[in-house]
Amino acid sequence: MLTAVNQPDPATPLWRAAQVFRLLSCIYALGFQIAVNSELDRRAIGWTLFAVLLAWSALCAFAYLRGFGRRAAWVVAEIVVVVALILSTEFVASDQWAFDNQSWPTTLWATNATISAAILSGPIAGMLAGVAVMIASTIVKGFINYDLGRNATIVIELAVGLAVGMAAQTARRAHAELEQAARLAASHQERERLSRQVHDGAIQVLALVSRRGREIGGDTAELAELAGEQERALRRLVSSADETPVGEETDVGALLRKRASDLVSVSVPAEPVLLDTATAGELYAAAVNALDNVAAHAGPEARAYVLLEDLGDTVTVSIRDDGVGIAEGRLEEAVGEGRVGVAKSIVGRMDWLGGSAKLTTAPGCGTEWELTVPRR
Amino acid sequence: MVVDDHPIWRDAVARDLAEGGFTVVATADGVASARRRAAVVLPDVVVMDMRLSDGDGAQATAEVLAVSPSSRILVLSASDEREDVLEAVKAGATGYLVKSASKQELGDAVWATAEGRAVFTPGLAGLVLGEYRRIAQTGTTDSAGTPTPSLTERETEILRHVAKGLTAKQIATRLSLSHRTVENHVQATFRKLQVANRVELARYAIEHGLDE
Repeated sequence: MLTAVNQPDPATPLWRAAQVFRLLSCIYALGFQIAVNSELDRRAIGWTLFAVLLAWSALCAFAYLRGFGRRAAWVVAEIVVVVALILSTEFVASDQWAFDNQSWPTTLWATNATISAAILSGPIAGMLAGVAVMIASTIVKGFINYDLGRNATIVIELAVGLAVGMAAQTARRAHAELEQAARLAASHQERERLSRQVHDGAIQVLALVSRRGREIGGDTAELAELAGEQERALRRLVSSADETPVGEETDVGALLRKRASDLVSVSVPAEPVLLDTATAGELYAAAVNALDNVAAHAGPEARAYVLLEDLGDTVTVSIRDDGVGIAEGRLEEAVGEGRVGVAKSIVGRMDWLGGSAKLTTAPGCGTEWELTVPRR
Repeated sequence: MVVDDHPIWRDAVARDLAEGGFTVVATADGVASARRRAAVVLPDVVVMDMRLSDGDGAQATAEVLAVSPSSRILVLSASDEREDVLEAVKAGATGYLVKSASKQELGDAVWATAEGRAVFTPGLAGLVLGEYRRIAQTGTTDSAGTPTPSLTERETEILRHVAKGLTAKQIATRLSLSHRTVENHVQATFRKLQVANRVELARYAIEHGLDE
């Protein structure tokens, strides 16, 4: 009963329909009883048993409609009662009558047990109940009727068990799937809502911590740095969707934005700057080379500024730093020491792309790379 | 006036401003409350977050300026809200600062905004530059003959320098201009976008019969 209250049984409509069938079958059984009563050996017992049938039917209908009867024990009891009533034919009627007629109290009424078993436990249980009913009926008749053309009872019993059982099974499965889908949708929505809130809240607090921490300075500045890093990481996570390649093309702006930090400012247009994925990757790699160079040589306090410009036919990335710059003659010196690897790699990449790389520098004024690639 | 939907931030910004010698006349957490309060207190400067409880900062900028045209809007936002920031500039914001800015930078920015100077970051300059180029590439002239905003060579040059992190002073030195001239040029680039935006909105309204 608890299950019936807490979780609506998806087979409930089937149970209701089955009770309508039960009522009709009782009316049919009553008609049959009146019609054949005069032919019975023990009429009084026949009527008594029929009263039992009606009472049991009413009880079953009530139990199934209310829900507490929808369990194995009750259905087994129903089958037992049906089989017992069928077997009582031996008692109320002569062997000849049983041989000539359908078993008392009508096959139609007996089908109720098959239907109940099928709704409760599916097609196999339904068909097994049908077989039980048929065995009882066969015992009464004393022989097995192979002539399906004249006696299709077994076929009907099996068919009813199968059909109703499958209907019940389908209803339950559909219901379960629907429930699962609804659960999934709800949990997805909840996750999204949570992530929005958590992200927004956490990002704001991290930003605040990093800001306050920097103001306080000292050891706290280190904490601030960490908070700032996490803030940026979270932001990237929240807006990570636009980093993925768009077909054959990749947004260079999205790639460059990944490098933004306290020391690196990244300025890009609002619209994505799309280049074919290979070109975008090389251009980004060259820009990263230049940024690495800044980190390595421009001094610990140096800030870098990246600017991405979409000029239609060409795309330009500028990487400027406000570091110590390269003193006159220093570059030549570096070449002598074999330390121009990074610069060479940048120029090499740009050459390969058919673009250009321009380096401007002066002592104390930082360095500036201007990388330009043509759009193909 | 401070507009931010996040109470921790709203309070922190308001406190910083109060400590910096400013008078915080009101705070608000959304578009509707910002409009209501701005209409009453007519703030000199509105420090505006981009993400609000009932809309975004661009909307709030437009609505606040509608009820308090003398107010100046300084956007204080997270660094990745790119399109929104551009929309806020088009709606009339004259400054943009990232939330990682220090207390000192915030104070300076509010002063500058109050004085009518444009406050910008390299990021915003990159956005504005990109927007002009987008306009130049997509819709040069339209059927209505409305002049589409474009940058002069000098303005482009200055915006590029700003986007590369040079301060107005450094740019002035490089281009042999006065500090003030550089700022005027930057402001002009903002204003042209705003005007274009207003023209566009008005045309949209006329075309769709919303002007009656």
